[in-house]
Order: sequence, then structure tokens, then C-alpha cells
Amino acid sequence: MPLLRMEGISKHYGGVRALENVSFEARRGSIHALLGENGAGKSTLIKVLSGVVQPDAGTISIDGEPVQFANPQEANDAGISCIFQELSLLPDLTVADNIGITRPPKKFGMIDFAAQRRIAEAALARVGGESIDPLATVSELSLSRRQMVEIAKAMARDPKILILDEATSALTAADVEKVFAMLHTLRSEGMSIIYISHRMNEIAELADTCTVYRNGQKVETFEAGTKSDNAIVEMMIGREYDSVFPPKIAKTLDAAPVLRVKDFSWQDQLNGINLQIRPGEIVGLGGLDGQGQKQLQLGLFGTLIGATGSVEINGKPVNLTSPKRAKSDEIGMALIPEDRKGEGLMLPMTVRENLSFAAVEKVSRFGLVDQAAEESAIAEMVSLLKIKSDGIDGPVAALSGGNQQKVVIGKWLMTRPRIILLNDPTRGIDVGTKQEIYQLLQKLAGEGAAILFYSTDYDELIGCCDRVLVMYDGAVVRTLSGDQLTETNLVSAALNLPAGNVEADIAVQAREIAK
Amino acid sequence: MGVFNAIARQFDRATIIAFGCIGVLLLIGSLAEPAFLSPQYLIQQLHVASFLGVVATGVMLVILLGHIDLSIPWTIGVGGMMATGAVSILGPEWGVPLAIPFGICCGALIGVINGLGVAYLRAPSMIFTLGMNAVAQGLMVYHTGGFAPQDRATELMRELTVGQLIPGVPNPILIWIFVGAAAMFMLNRSTLGRQIYAIGNQERAVFLSGVDTRKVILICFVISGACAAATGVLLAGWANRSYQAMGDPYLLPTIAAIILGGTNVLGGRGKYIGTVAGVILITILQSMLSVVQPQRYFAQLGLDFPADTFRQVVFGLVIFGMLLIYGRQQLVR
Repeated sequence: MPLLRMEGISKHYGGVRALENVSFEARRGSIHALLGENGAGKSTLIKVLSGVVQPDAGTISIDGEPVQFANPQEANDAGISCIFQELSLLPDLTVADNIGITRPPKKFGMIDFAAQRRIAEAALARVGGESIDPLATVSELSLSRRQMVEIAKAMARDPKILILDEATSALTAADVEKVFAMLHTLRSEGMSIIYISHRMNEIAELADTCTVYRNGQKVETFEAGTKSDNAIVEMMIGREYDSVFPPKIAKTLDAAPVLRVKDFSWQDQLNGINLQIRPGEIVGLGGLDGQGQKQLQLGLFGTLIGATGSVEINGKPVNLTSPKRAKSDEIGMALIPEDRKGEGLMLPMTVRENLSFAAVEKVSRFGLVDQAAEESAIAEMVSLLKIKSDGIDGPVAALSGGNQQKVVIGKWLMTRPRIILLNDPTRGIDVGTKQEIYQLLQKLAGEGAAILFYSTDYDELIGCCDRVLVMYDGAVVRTLSGDQLTETNLVSAALNLPAGNVEADIAVQAREIAK
Repeated sequence: MGVFNAIARQFDRATIIAFGCIGVLLLIGSLAEPAFLSPQYLIQQLHVASFLGVVATGVMLVILLGHIDLSIPWTIGVGGMMATGAVSILGPEWGVPLAIPFGICCGALIGVINGLGVAYLRAPSMIFTLGMNAVAQGLMVYHTGGFAPQDRATELMRELTVGQLIPGVPNPILIWIFVGAAAMFMLNRSTLGRQIYAIGNQERAVFLSGVDTRKVILICFVISGACAAATGVLLAGWANRSYQAMGDPYLLPTIAAIILGGTNVLGGRGKYIGTVAGVILITILQSMLSVVQPQRYFAQLGLDFPADTFRQVVFGLVIFGMLLIYGRQQLVR
């Protein structure tokens, strides 16, 4: 008998169908992977299981006993622990406080800090995070370490069923190894593990069983290793899966650079950056995460106070002092930010208001919105980007992640930018939407836009860019293009290893660390 | 069809409930006192409500941004005292014609300082505007020497508050309709309105969309200051003079009216029509409490409450009750 059985689960958000009559089973001592595009219903299924949302219909049973969870606490008490992709730690509390937060050990009615610390140490040791000080404040830790704390926190509750929702996407390679080792141990101890990831290689390494979802419905459940990656992706997107990256459009890059940056520096995070981009060129920004790529884009967009160096647009020196200035017709710059929920969108507002927001002056006269002009500009973007929504007057929060990202991109395309800065636009987005974004980039470049594209995914940089600038410690350390644009070169440049030193073992080592 | 939709969109759930509460309140009141349903009484209530309505218009913009303006009591005082004091400050030649703009400009100036502090110095609006209120109070006490000002309102100010441009409709109602229509149009149709709602939802995204968010915040605080001062001018015309603490009874009713009208106290959501409903609701509630005199019933039971205090207690309790019924935030999941 399976440990967990969910039957006929349905959930609607407004008019949007998130889950339709979905069944799911998980056995003891196995790792079950959930696959599907964003908006396929995986996250909703997990939220139902962990008591975050209540299903409209359907039943859940554990060990054959029917259960109902009115809130996450009840699901926790029933032995279900969930690690979400968004971090749920309180940054100003210590690691031990965070781990003990739902059930702090008490003495005379007060929190017993010594016991709490012992519990935290044990939980950290269990997930392989012994090196984390339980008394450190969470905000002092790196993203990868925080995610380890998150996993330890879930483990501290001694769950029967452990759910990991994209929990490894922020981990370094070394930590991923530790977490995988832990998951293997837990499986042999009889725990039931539900695993969601967009990384196919992780699923191949971990999963015993896989289930694919699409559009809120279950497509198929199968034993891991019985299908090829391509077959799985086809199941996920529901259509033939051809090459991920569209061909780079052949173009002659002899025009004068539209953007030329000289000796751009900011505090000690950007050190003397030089770059130029021609119209129609897609320039990638590579390197390890956090080497100043984000700051460079924010700086060019006029948000960094005290940035030095010169910026020329079409050969004319300009002073970039604010995003308002950066998007002006004279400069024509657009920034698609990294954090679409916090920086790109006003989630409770409508798709309409979000889409036309950056270009609202273009569809207004005398400070009043011209509704007919706005309507037609929005219709153009919705059809160009194939934005799927329940109507443009619904809140943008109801859209899936991929469609939200399309709204952010559409909002900026409406300003007709000449220079487009993209900060990891495909993070956490399904394969189908990724492909559409790649095609869009080539199309925009073909129309003469200059694109500066930061991505943490090396394949993306190789597949999309004409040229990649690799950054290390706030400076551009290498420029790769043509045949040199390979994963090995990208990785070794990212670690700032000397050029030409291509001995196999170093490259392998570099890959290990970078992943 | 489009027009109907546009109108229907102005009436969200909170607005409809607020209007419903007004109806219920009038019905209950009319059982005790049939005169509550007479046109004279209703017009009189709208007349009184329009003072609250004008000040609430400005504060609503600030609340939509996710900020708050607690300097309104003494901004109202500044508006009234500067308008009546214009003759002694600017001299009789300029003081009479410029009394009203002078009063409103002084209020707007308070708004400028609030806006600069909140938007440019990034001070928390709650404490900054509260401090501003104390500063304004201090300046006014200095100006008057702590006594009731002896200046009188000008003829125009009298005319604006007690006159009737349209027979049967006191002028303040027209002023409120004008100010309210302008605010509604601005919120719904202008780029500034979009930006106000957007800042209340996600200021960072608005800034990164190339909007000068600081300017928008500054503008809203200036409007808030000007509206409060305009209410002060109207109140001074109504009483034919200004007086110490003339704005003090307005802080709670203003914010309560806006919240009861469905505006999210954290910003980003709310319709102007809701504020209109909230203002009328609060006004009628206050009026009924003073007419019905609920403490009398308790006096019959042998419990002796001073009238004024008791009215405040009941007023506060009724606001609590309404907030519990429908003014709370949706549980966020």
C-alpha cells in the first residue's frame, strides 16, 4: 500500500485551472520526481499536500487514513515537511532560532536556547551542514548555506514525507552532493521523498519514479530510466521537441556600436569595465553568480549612485542618472530585472496596467491615458509574446511564472528599446517559454536591438550569444566568441584560470566547482 | 456598455457594503427619529460631510502610496488660521483677496516638507508627519500667542461655506464634488493615478520602470496638505473665525472613513467612491450619536456618563465593529 495517496484533486484560482482531477501516489523508501512546465500544476499539488491551499475536490490519505489539512501546521503534524523554492527563513534570526521556530524546546515556559542549539546542530549534521554555526544570523549566510538551513529545518520536524520544491536550484555543487547523499540515506531509511526540479540530470540521478504534469493534468507516471530525456520533455510541453536554441541570425556587425562603456566602476563591486555593443548583437555576461553582472546592468540603467566611467550612446556621451533617463527616447534602454515579483511587476495589479506601465507616457496625452492607444499596444504585445491569461483585466499574480516573465518583457518591448539588458530572464521558467524567449531575442537582434544578456546557464550563453564577456570579481576577465565559446572555456574563465591552460583535469575540476 | 462597466468597476465590495451600512444606519435612526430621513437632514449631513470629504481626498492619495499623513489636524489649523490671519500678515489690500490661496498654499508648503522628508530623505511617513503636526502646532501657538485668534473670516470664505450657488445645495457640497471628481478622474485615467496605485503595490518595480517615484510621492503629500488646508479654510468660514485645535477632531474620522471605504491601509488598492461612502457613513454616525444621545438610556439605568466622552466611546466602538465586519485585510495565502 502506498504511504500517500491523493485522488481526484482539483483546484481553481478564479477562472484559471491549476489542477484537474489529479491523482498521485508515493511509496515508502522511494524518491518520486514531479516534472512539468511552470504552471503545469506541480507547485499547486505540493501546496495542497502541505496544507497551504485547500483543494476544491479530491481526497488525501496517509497510510490508508483519510486526512484533511486546514493549514500547513496540520500537514506538519501529519508528518509532511516541505522545502519550497522560495526561501522561508527569517533573515534576522539565528540559524538555531529558524530551525526551532515551529516547535521551540521550552523550559519554564521560556525557549530553552541550549536545547534549541543542540537540536539545530543535530539537524544540520544530518543534512551535511556541520560547518554552519547554529548561532550565526541567517542574513550573514550565502544563498547556498541558507538553503542548507532550510533543508535542516524541514528535517528537524522528523517527517515521514519530505517534499523538495526546486530546493537545490540555489545550491553549490558541493552542497548538492551532500543533499543527494542525505536523500539516498533517507530513502533507505524508508522515507517517502517527493522531488521537483527543472534539472534533468538531477532527476536522472535521484528519482525512482517520475510523474509528468501538463496544464493541471497528469500525463503519465513511469519508472525512472525507462524514457529518454527528449521523450520526457515532449511529454512536458506536449509537442515535438526540436533543437532548444534557434539558429543565430547571420548578421553583419559593421555598424558603429550603439552602446560604448569605458572604465565603468562602482564602489569595489565593479572595476573598470569596458564594453561595446553594436546594433543587432547579443552580448552575453558570464561568470559565477555574484561577480558584478547584476550591478553592471543596474549601473548602466542609472540606479547606482556614485558610479564612475563614461557611457556613450551612438557615440554621444550621456549621463545615466536614473531609470527614467535610461528609458528616455534619447537613450532607449530597457532592463528586464532578475526578480520579476519584486522588481518587475506589481503583482496585484492587472495584466493591462503592468504591460503598459513602462510605456504609459507613449500611450498618453497631457498626462491622461489614451485608452484606445493603450488597448492596441497591449493587443500587439499579447499576440507577439503569446501571453496566456484569463483576460488582461485579471491580476498578473494569477499568471504562471513563464507568462509573468513574458509580461515583464512585453512591458519593456512596448517602449521600443534600442538597448535591452536582460538579467537571467529564464530562471525558474519552463522549457517551452525559454525557447520562445530565445526566439524572441534572435528576432529583436535581427531588428537591430543591442542586447546584453546575463545568464547563469552556460548552455544559454553558448546557444544565444554572439560574444560572451566573462566577469570575475567585478571585472571582465575574458571575452569569448566563435569557436572559443565553449563550456570548458566559459567555466575556466569564470574561475579566472589562466587562458591557454586547458589541461583536462583543471577543466574537470573547474566544472565540479562551478556546478 | 463600456460606460456601465467603467461605473461598475468603481463599486468594489467594500464600497457597496459601506453604502449598505449608510442605509441601515439611516433606517435604524429613523425608527428613533423620523426626521433622519428628511431631505433637509440629509442635505445638512452632506454639508457637514464635505469638510471631511475634502481632507480625506488628499489623505487617501497618501494612503494609496502606502504612506500616511498624520499632520492633518494642524495642517487644517494652519489653513484656517493663515486664511483668517492673511489680513494681518499680508496687509488689508492683499490679505482680503488672497486669504484663501494663502491658507491653502501654507498647507501645501507643509505637504512639500512632508514629501521631501518622506520621499527624498526616506524618513518613515508615520513619524515624520506626526512630527510635522507638532511643528505646525507650535508655529500656530506662536503665531496666536496661544489665544483664540481675533481675526475674522473674509466675506468670500463665509460665502463659500454658507452660501448656496445652486439654491438648496450649500456650496461646500459643490466644492467636494469638484475636488472628488478631479481626484477620481486623476486616479482612474491619468498616468499619475496609475503610478500612485503602482507605488503602493511595489515601489521598486515602479522605480525600475523608469518612473520618478520620489516626485509622485512628493506630489501626493502636497495635495494632501493643500486639501487639509482647504478644509481648514472652509471650517474657518463656517465658524466665521479660526480657533485652536480646530483640526483635532478630524484625524480619526478621516483615516477611518478611508479605511471603511475599502482602501488598503498598506497602499495600492482602493476606490475613491469607497472613500465617499466612508465619509458619509462616518458623518451620519457622528450626527446620530449626538442627536440620539445614547448616554440617556444608560442614565435611566442609573449609569451616569458624561455626554461627550460617551459619544467618543460609542463612535470608536462602532468603527471597531465595522472594521471587524468588512474592513479587515484578506488572509494572505
